Amino acid sequence: MNHVFCAMLLIGMLAAVMGGDLSGAQTALFSGGGEAVSFCLSMAGAYAFFGGLLGVLRESGVTDALARGMRKPLARLFCFERGEEAALDDICVNLAADLLGMGGAATPAGLRAMRTMAAAGGDTGRLSDAMGLFLVLNMCSVQMLPTTMIAIRAQHGSKSPADIVLPTLLATLASGLTGIALCKFFASRSKMHD
Amino acid sequence: MIDSSYLMPCLVVFALLCGLRARIDVYDAFVRGAKEGLLTLLEMTPYLCAALTATALLRQTGVMDALTNLLSPLLAHLSIPDAAAGVVLLRPLSGSAALAAVRDVIAQTGADSRAARFSCVISGASETIFFTGSLYMGAAGIRKAGYTIAAAMIAYMAGILAAAICV
Repeated sequence: MNHVFCAMLLIGMLAAVMGGDLSGAQTALFSGGGEAVSFCLSMAGAYAFFGGLLGVLRESGVTDALARGMRKPLARLFCFERGEEAALDDICVNLAADLLGMGGAATPAGLRAMRTMAAAGGDTGRLSDAMGLFLVLNMCSVQMLPTTMIAIRAQHGSKSPADIVLPTLLATLASGLTGIALCKFFASRSKMHD
Repeated sequence: MIDSSYLMPCLVVFALLCGLRARIDVYDAFVRGAKEGLLTLLEMTPYLCAALTATALLRQTGVMDALTNLLSPLLAHLSIPDAAAGVVLLRPLSGSAALAAVRDVIAQTGADSRAARFSCVISGASETIFFTGSLYMGAAGIRKAGYTIAAAMIAYMAGILAAAICV
């Protein structure tokens, strides 16, 4: 992100100098932060509402129930090496929290799962098939409820802010399934080379 | 087509029923969750300041337009709306920069335009690939990402194509 940020500012300043619009660039630099703060304030109500709603779901045990339900299919999907199956519980919690859009609860469980699997392989720094699949699933983000996106549309006067839920589900499904298929493909290819 | 305006009421009723069935203090749980949500937002604000400053600069100086024009033929081929180019490019790199770009698209084209809906779908259906990758690999002490970054990027593109078709 460091490189991206520096590159964006550098390119912007260069373009400002070449285009001769220095005062416009200056206004943009000062207004950007202010826009961010007022944007966050306008989103605060929705964040509190969705946070509260997800809090009720979590404390009612919905996340745990979902994690339990995913346990069997996930145990089949992941080809664990010896000792790696100890991470299965954390994997289930991570993916269930991800599905419900609770990023805050997903990350600690996900990192724990990665550490457990690494330790099972003797901490050699090698990426096992199960670790690769878990990593790719997290990089694809399987999400059922895009709360931030619903909120931002509602805030900006959309007539039906939630009508992106179904397309988002389809898109996340497409990327998730592609990710799984690619992992299985690469894993079987590396086995043939052994 | 299902009417999506029923979704929120259904979700609220569902959460209430779950809470009552589990015999938890729904009010307390809601307040705790709301606090968590607000803290997340507060933590995100400085990042969003940085991201919006950078995107405002690029938009003002015409870099964003130049980039969009450059990509426009390719985007048209995939039936991706031009205005969403920034979102598509920034999403794998930075969550806050992508959110800033989504906000820009909505501000320019309205919340119900195809570009705005497409941007929201892309943002909701994907993740900051490079950040997540380095975070998880760092936790496990893995130095070589192997095929995972490539697989995640191809999966991201599959998501984009799916979104272009169904939005």
